[in-house]
Amino acid sequence: MASIPVRPCLRRVSRALAESNPRDTHAHLTNPLRRWTGSTLPRASSSSPFSTSTRLAAAAAASSTRRTGSTLKISRKSNAPTSGGKPPGRGERKAFRKKIVLSNANALEVDGLGELSPRAVADPAAHCRVLALPGAVVDQLRLLGAFKPTQGWKYFRRPATLMRAESLRLASVVDGMAEGKEPFRAIVSGERGTGKSALLTQAMAMALLKNWVVISIPDPKDLILGHTDYAPLPDTEPQLYFQKAYTARLLYNTARANRDVLREHTVSQAHPGLPSSVSPDMTLDRFAQLGARDSDFAWPVFRALWAELTKPGLGRPPVMLALDGLASLAGPTEYLSADVKPIHALDLAQVRHFFEQLAGRSLGGPLAAEQRLPNGGAVLAALSQSERPPRTHTAAVELAVAQNEARAAAAEGPPARPYDRDIDHRVYDALREVRALKVGALSREEARALVEYYAKSGALMAPVSEAFLAEKLALAGGGVVGELERGTVRAGL
Amino acid sequence: MELPAAAMRRVWLRSCGAASRPNVFPRGFLSNPASRRKCLSTSSRRSIAAAEIDFDGPQSAPPPSGDSLPERPQGAPVNLDRLRIVPASPSYFTARPNFTDDLLRLRQVLRRYEALPLAPPGSAPKVAWKTFGQYKGTSMEPVKVSRYNLILDVLKRLNQIHPSLVPEEVTEELSKFKRHVDPHAYKPPPPQLDQWGRAMSVGKRKSSVARVWLVEGEGEVLVNNKTLAQAFARVHDRESAIWPLKVTQRIDKYNVWALVHGGGTTGQAEALTLAVAKAMLTHEPLLKPVLRRAGCITRDPRRVERKKPGKLKARKMPAWVKR
Repeated sequence: MASIPVRPCLRRVSRALAESNPRDTHAHLTNPLRRWTGSTLPRASSSSPFSTSTRLAAAAAASSTRRTGSTLKISRKSNAPTSGGKPPGRGERKAFRKKIVLSNANALEVDGLGELSPRAVADPAAHCRVLALPGAVVDQLRLLGAFKPTQGWKYFRRPATLMRAESLRLASVVDGMAEGKEPFRAIVSGERGTGKSALLTQAMAMALLKNWVVISIPDPKDLILGHTDYAPLPDTEPQLYFQKAYTARLLYNTARANRDVLREHTVSQAHPGLPSSVSPDMTLDRFAQLGARDSDFAWPVFRALWAELTKPGLGRPPVMLALDGLASLAGPTEYLSADVKPIHALDLAQVRHFFEQLAGRSLGGPLAAEQRLPNGGAVLAALSQSERPPRTHTAAVELAVAQNEARAAAAEGPPARPYDRDIDHRVYDALREVRALKVGALSREEARALVEYYAKSGALMAPVSEAFLAEKLALAGGGVVGELERGTVRAGL
Repeated sequence: MELPAAAMRRVWLRSCGAASRPNVFPRGFLSNPASRRKCLSTSSRRSIAAAEIDFDGPQSAPPPSGDSLPERPQGAPVNLDRLRIVPASPSYFTARPNFTDDLLRLRQVLRRYEALPLAPPGSAPKVAWKTFGQYKGTSMEPVKVSRYNLILDVLKRLNQIHPSLVPEEVTEELSKFKRHVDPHAYKPPPPQLDQWGRAMSVGKRKSSVARVWLVEGEGEVLVNNKTLAQAFARVHDRESAIWPLKVTQRIDKYNVWALVHGGGTTGQAEALTLAVAKAMLTHEPLLKPVLRRAGCITRDPRRVERKKPGKLKARKMPAWVKR
């Protein structure tokens, strides 16, 4: 294994220094109380650790011997907050920021609110209806990271989504998928606030209802920011890197979210290189948990699990791979190779695995032999407009998406730009053939259904009239769902 | 300073030796308003200087005076040696004779017609008087703005005389001070829809300029080819842009296609307000009172206040420093 240079992290170094040394190294000199007790009250004298009398006496003595009269006072900024109570502990602020609230006891129960069910998934009559997500699916989606803290779930009694035209299209894909059918691969694109992430959530919910196995990478930024450990994958050419902690976490979430499905299937083949505790009749659920528990085996177990899931002829379920925020993976990462060069995201094994599944073909290299969803399934990657990486990452993705959107609309797209420096050609080549699923503004009927649902939930107080709807639609850029929610639900609160 | 030809006239010299005598008014004559008024009358002018010679007229004759001037026979050549030159106007030595004459003449006219009834307040005819620059250009004199304002005061007072009773003389005097082109007389042609049913209009606010094409439709808005949500991040700005449509409950009756440039987001949004309102008036002129009450008609003239020397910004003073 090649030695990996560790990038120096100044913040970590300074923190380590601060922990090893007390904050104020001269405190025993400047604090008169400590100096005094240190000289006349040796440690042995406070014989009983539970008695406070000697310390109190020492303190009283200290206060009596303090010099009177004017002394030089050098004011020092105190780090302790003067008022406002206890400051939030470490990580509390972030936890509060990332908190996902999926219900609101103050919101009204909506009469006649339908529920998404396996039968309702592909029902064309569900168009323009708001359907609640079943409780079990909500728990699974939560594990898969399908809900975002910025989405407005907290304004309603229970999570529910609007069945729009794009949802029905995905529903028909999920409903009609069978073994041997070509999997559905698409990049979900659209302007900011059009509901790309929510569409991904709907797709995952429908897949879970249809007993698919869903694997989700909700925040792909975590893979490239250098926040999780990495190591070179042995015997790979070109050199790939794996991230065992991230993979272990992914296996844990996948196993828990898909527990019921994975329990129905057992390990069918021998997997060399895995611990001997893997037995042939082991369920895939336990198999995945094995990798989740021991991160050293996380990546081999993930590969083996994928091999098991994509084995044809065993009645394995279809698999859905979902990723939200594709552009962050489209370029160099914060990780460094052995020769201190940034590692490209496509050289991270986890990322490369996803890109190969999304492209539906091998990108060359060691993962080439992997099965490409012979049991059917879907690979969905959504773009994110609120978290936009630099142009060096977005340019290739946007060009590929624009070309594929144009191809879907039978129009002439933008030409390839081989001399554009900002275009990452590895990414562009991988995504060139992937279809784009464009999410646009809501139609007037869809918007009316949604706004009426807001009104029935009590989140919107105004009566819903045609004029009201027309105004809100115009203000929301012609029906951008995020802006519509902002103008109706959030504006009133 | 070169003398205007009309400012001088030629008169007979009373005597040969008189040519060297400076022709001046007595000390204080011109500064005294009473004596100045006196000098306006023809008779007083004659008392100062001899009458003008008419070189060509058949009845030209030496001035009738008691002096022993030689009789000039009819048609005889004029002896130029016996002539002297004196100013045409007694205001000549005020340095601004044209201005002084104008002011005194107007005051005299006003005094004559002071008793005429006035038009009701606010109903006097709108007149664009000559600007200060234009007046200064015609008089060729170093007049100050404050002096010209004296003339304007008199003119405005004369203009207030009831239109049915204005004397010919007053009309004549006023016309001398009117601009050749009367901007108040120009009425722009009413805006019209073009052949595709679009109304085009322009609105401005701060340093933003918005051009709007408004057409009957179902509530679509495009600003610089972007939707309202893409063009304006603030909901308040989006509401400003379509505010005229909202107050008249016509959001779903029109489509807006707009181009905006200059300024910031607030300026652009409020420039759109004005432009959309003006375009709506082309479609429905009767909406004007409603739109005016909603504040969509009046252009807000405020601009960024300029920075001044000695100040950090327009008004901010530097921090006080001891010594």
